[in-house]
Amino acid sequence: MSHQQQMDCILTIDLGTGAVRIFAFDMNGSVIGSMKGSYPTFHREPDQSEQDPEQVFITVLYVLKNLLNDRIHPAGYKVVAICFSAAMHSVLSVDKKGVPLGNAITWSDNRGKKEAQQLKSTAAGKAIYDATGTPIHPMSPLIKITWMRHHDKTRFEGTARFLSLKSYIIHQLTGENLIDYSLASATGLFNIHRFDWDQAALDHAGITAEQLPDLVPVFYSKPRLRREFQTSLGLSPDTRIIVGASDGVLATLGAGVWDEGKATITVEQSGAVRVVGRDVLQDSQQRFFNYVLTENYYVSGGPTNNGGVIFEWFTREFGAFRRAFDLEDTMEELIQQASKIPAGSDGLLFLPYLLGERAPIWNANARGLYFGLNMQHRQQHFIRATIEGILYEIYSIGKTLEEHRAIHTLSVNGSFTSFPFWAQMISDIFNLPVHVKNNSDSIGLGAFLVTATEMGMYKTLEEAARTIDTPVMYRPDKKDNAVYMRYFRIFERLSTKLSEDFEEIANLQGM
Amino acid sequence: MAMLANPYILQQGLSKELEPFPHIIEFSIKKIQTIHLNSLPIGKSNNCKIYYIHEGRYDWSIDGTCHILYPGDLALIMPGQSFGGVRDFLDIGALCLMMLDIDRSGDHGFGKWSGLSSLESRSIRKILLLNDMPVVAGCKDAGLLFQAIGRELQGQELGFQTRINHLTDSLLILIARQLSKQNNSHRDFPRTFMKLEQELRENLSNQWTVEEMAALVGLGTTAFTQKVKSYTGFSPMSYLINIRISEAIKLLKRTDVNLTDVALDTGFYSSQHFSTTFKKLTGYTPSQFRKNNTDNI
Repeated sequence: MSHQQQMDCILTIDLGTGAVRIFAFDMNGSVIGSMKGSYPTFHREPDQSEQDPEQVFITVLYVLKNLLNDRIHPAGYKVVAICFSAAMHSVLSVDKKGVPLGNAITWSDNRGKKEAQQLKSTAAGKAIYDATGTPIHPMSPLIKITWMRHHDKTRFEGTARFLSLKSYIIHQLTGENLIDYSLASATGLFNIHRFDWDQAALDHAGITAEQLPDLVPVFYSKPRLRREFQTSLGLSPDTRIIVGASDGVLATLGAGVWDEGKATITVEQSGAVRVVGRDVLQDSQQRFFNYVLTENYYVSGGPTNNGGVIFEWFTREFGAFRRAFDLEDTMEELIQQASKIPAGSDGLLFLPYLLGERAPIWNANARGLYFGLNMQHRQQHFIRATIEGILYEIYSIGKTLEEHRAIHTLSVNGSFTSFPFWAQMISDIFNLPVHVKNNSDSIGLGAFLVTATEMGMYKTLEEAARTIDTPVMYRPDKKDNAVYMRYFRIFERLSTKLSEDFEEIANLQGM
Repeated sequence: MAMLANPYILQQGLSKELEPFPHIIEFSIKKIQTIHLNSLPIGKSNNCKIYYIHEGRYDWSIDGTCHILYPGDLALIMPGQSFGGVRDFLDIGALCLMMLDIDRSGDHGFGKWSGLSSLESRSIRKILLLNDMPVVAGCKDAGLLFQAIGRELQGQELGFQTRINHLTDSLLILIARQLSKQNNSHRDFPRTFMKLEQELRENLSNQWTVEEMAALVGLGTTAFTQKVKSYTGFSPMSYLINIRISEAIKLLKRTDVNLTDVALDTGFYSSQHFSTTFKKLTGYTPSQFRKNNTDNI
């Protein structure tokens, strides 16, 4: 080895919905390495989505070890801090020894449909939503635990603590039992105004605060790695372990969205539109989430089920697939064909609700529809209409947010917005200038900014967020915008007008 | 369509043509011109049947599911599966049948007659047994193989024994490849990978090879390894070790399974191998890990 001085670096660990991604940043915020490792989601019943906590943990260790051994240590870097982010809404039961009772229930699990429906329309449900900021929905841990209380009594009664997957991983690595305010604010059990567990929500779920992890701020940095991991990973005992936040709020932070007037749009499999502010968004129709970023800031917005997953479905069913499993190239090819059709798809309209919908219509029975078909429509029209439908739906979330906040620019991220065709269409439909960022990068960068702020490199997160450059990359085409808006009116009307028919067809489909 | 040879039926024990091929129970080319009631009742098949349709339409029940077969289609019925005509008779038309004696559980090759390596035949057997779609649609190549086998059986020219054994291997390879391609539409890698994942989990003590995993998915090993790497971030073998260690952790947290059994159940060939791999990844030896995780916190 040379005599060169060791340079400091920061690791961010993101426990995503299907994979862990670890980024290494130098102290200037440049990425010096990253690796991912995926873990499976099990669907034992159609409504259920679970992950094996042990496999998630092993995958974290494996990726962490490989990244350190292959990239970080050989390049002469010393890890000074590790910060965590994670997908929201997971629930893991553990017994008094900390041993998991079965798998973790993940965000997309729908087993609590009935429990959510029953609570949502009541006064108690509305009060819990106002207090916790989390929409009353099967995704919410509040509803999942309520379901367990009624339908899985053995597990419910044997549970010493209800953790999030992130809490479990941090516990395995450090021995601490923690959850940050940010991730807690997505459980439906946390009072986002008083920064403590919400008694009414706990009562509804039938649990006590002692059964939940200890609440700490996102900057909390006291935990230390267990000695065995210091040795096996080659990390110093002084490495700061920063508890961090949820993926959604960190992606927003990492996208540089802070000011009034900015919003971020994420289009991965699902999607979301988010804004940052000092106040929560009060909405009588319970359409928005309000998640905690820090004690002074909230990330508010609405999620859609039907993001890129719908275009993947379309591609799988109708794409040419010239080589085995070549989804990427097949999608590119379809997009190329779609680009030859004018904006508005010559009057072919698509409602993308194949998976039911969350914001803004919050209707689990909603289903997909192609509308306005005539004899002139060709295959390419369907491709374009499908993409337009997915983005109209995202616009309908943005439009309801605009009732509360002015939005002047968009920072968009997620794998689907890396297609220029999609990014331009977002700009045209929203009639706003657009900046594009990579989503997993944004989450990692958000976690880096939290760490850098905790270590005193920035005075506040606000100052940190302002260092993110978001140059305009796409400008709206006014003519196309006018076309889109004429069709969007019909899109919006159909989405609500069809609710009776949605219910009837969903019943016939038995879902 | 190729001309169908004159119909004939060769049966083991009755036809001297089959004497050199004890594993072939029957080889026949049938033309059905009248319907005989009860000519194909549904019952349990005790050997492996491969049908290839030349003419007509056949409505069959295979393993409890109804399938409609048209000319060019191939049906595979494995020992133990139920099979028969939906209306209990053989419909009008023409078809070829090869009935093979394949041991369902045999760990070695298909028999001395086969030139397949034990690894290849293990993969093929697995695919044939796994398949939940026993019909290969539009499999004209199988028709050609049937014809060639028929010609060799009747001609008995120099080298016919070797030729027939080769052709039978080729037929099995063709069916296995088509089935794995068909069962994995090659459009949806996440779904295909989940099916493989489940298979690995259910047979964790099996000493899996990359070739075997790739064969199940219907890809060559290079394409398979690349695909798994870009989808999961891991090589296929590393991914498998991940599953092995995760399952081992669950067993270690229960005190009623001894360490050697944990190792063997999760596919490590010895407790030493288990211990080294486990410590390398987790920093703990299995017994330290067990001690730490079974005390109250």
